[in-house]
Amino acid sequence: MIYVENLRKEFKKTVKEPGLKGSIKSLFYPKSEKVVAVKDISFEVPEGEVLGFIGPNGAGKSTVIKMLTGILTPTSGVCTINGRNPRENRKSYVKEIGVVFGQRTQLWWDLPLRETYGVLKEIYEVPEDKYKKRMAFLNEVLDLESFITSPVRTLSLGQRMRADIAASLIHSPKVLFLDEPTIGLDVVVKDNIRNAIEYINKEEKTTVVLTTHDLADIELLAKRIVMIDKGSNVFDGSISELKNRYGQIRELHFDTDTKNAEKILSYGQHFNFEPEDLSVECEGSQMKVRFNSSVVPVSEMLSYTLGKISVNDISVKDADIEEIIRRLYKQGVE
Amino acid sequence: MRKKLRIYVPFINAGMQETTTYRVNWLFYMFGNVLGCFISYFIWNAVYNSSENSTMNGFTMPQMIVYIFLMFLTSTLVSSGGTYDIGEEIRDGSIAMRLIKPISYNATFLFQELGNKAMTICILIVPMVVGVEIVRFNFTGAVQFNILYFLLYLVSCVLAYLINFFFNICFGFIAFVIKYLWGANLMKNCIVGFLSGQTIPLAFMPEVLEKVFLILPFASLNYTPVMIYIGMYNGTTLLYFLGLQVFWALFFWGLSKLLWSVSVKYLAVQGG
Repeated sequence: MIYVENLRKEFKKTVKEPGLKGSIKSLFYPKSEKVVAVKDISFEVPEGEVLGFIGPNGAGKSTVIKMLTGILTPTSGVCTINGRNPRENRKSYVKEIGVVFGQRTQLWWDLPLRETYGVLKEIYEVPEDKYKKRMAFLNEVLDLESFITSPVRTLSLGQRMRADIAASLIHSPKVLFLDEPTIGLDVVVKDNIRNAIEYINKEEKTTVVLTTHDLADIELLAKRIVMIDKGSNVFDGSISELKNRYGQIRELHFDTDTKNAEKILSYGQHFNFEPEDLSVECEGSQMKVRFNSSVVPVSEMLSYTLGKISVNDISVKDADIEEIIRRLYKQGVE
Repeated sequence: MRKKLRIYVPFINAGMQETTTYRVNWLFYMFGNVLGCFISYFIWNAVYNSSENSTMNGFTMPQMIVYIFLMFLTSTLVSSGGTYDIGEEIRDGSIAMRLIKPISYNATFLFQELGNKAMTICILIVPMVVGVEIVRFNFTGAVQFNILYFLLYLVSCVLAYLINFFFNICFGFIAFVIKYLWGANLMKNCIVGFLSGQTIPLAFMPEVLEKVFLILPFASLNYTPVMIYIGMYNGTTLLYFLGLQVFWALFFWGLSKLLWSVSVKYLAVQGG
């Protein structure tokens, strides 16, 4: 469905030295430098899949989305959807896609929300009866009824986002691009939106590409993740694969009476942990040990700990996806 | 073709609704324009009063008054904010939202602006024309209104608007390169105002300059319609100037298409 290979995008950026002096200097001698926003990205998305497209800020996610939606021209590389190039014949291409940029709106700012949908109906040439059915469906999924007659500028962020998602779905697109659709929303609205996306994906086999910083979005919606950083692929696979590959991290929490427990235990020396495989936090009698269970199995860690000191309460926790991604973002490309 | 046009009808509609949303702003805008019109009236009044000749470059005082008010009406009718709108959309990156729609970028602007304009046209055209005709009647003692000239004036205004619209679009695409257009737009407005006879009638220019200016597209914007209205152009001259307007309209339409296809490749969406 979506096919991306060796995609690259460079921008020219004017560089300004700091302060007023720098501003004046750059007025007469503008210096520009080349910025590579997307270095080399490849991935594929089969039809009907929800792809979580993640990466730290500035990784190049939005730029890739903009190239896929035909807004930006790639410097080099290939991206096609259904075998079609977004840059060729833009008008017929964009009929098949729906796009939501969470930080922008495609709604008509000064007009009642309903008017925007009316305009979109004409733009996408949706027949009257289909349009009615579609609006009823979207209303049911996204609950638009209460604010459909209000001007868009008076909507709350949550309402606006739901309205924007509905706007991107009016023409039943085959592919839906969602660039941070849950940004700045409260828990309930987030839930609503996730349910709506999931429902539409299941009901209509819509392929969804989703970028977000909220990992709950990813865990609940995406079967597969493509992670990029600094314009290159870092990871491509399912969430369980991600956990297997990077997620052998376990957390040991316990409460101890023994003084100097940290010194007595000294896990690092005993097990020869590499520094990135172990971290120990100690707060009063509470200890939190984070370690890589592929180096030392959990059972061994437990029996060693219990043998050395007296422990009141102990628990082992699975590292959650957030922890894994935090580690990946910090390390950068491996 | 009809089906294609239907896509853009909602844009006219939406443009009209947008204007009515900020009614007070619109009223102030119109009031400011009328005020500017009266300022030039008083300036020319002073010029004619301090001059010994009652005719200047073929314009008598009453003709000058008619010229000023017709020029105001015409420039309001044919004005186009395309440059500013494109510049803003590129500056804040919202152009992206227009690009993800299966519609022609230029056409959406055109129809939205026609909607914005509809109200201005309805409210302005009748009182202005009546006012101008009263002035002409006062000075000549006879009704000067000529329905044929008036209709030709309207045709010429439509052509002038198209020229102005596509010229502004072409100019707006400069924003793809320089990213922010406010300064360039100000400069453009000054130059166009001068070359189109908005500030001074082109007849006041030295003969050689006048000839050059008349061929340039800017005279087609304001000067030609006004001249048609007051009956200065007749027969072949009239056809020549209308033809010139058609030529410039097609020229800028073609140029805007070309520039669009080139510049969109350089588009860098700013922010987010």
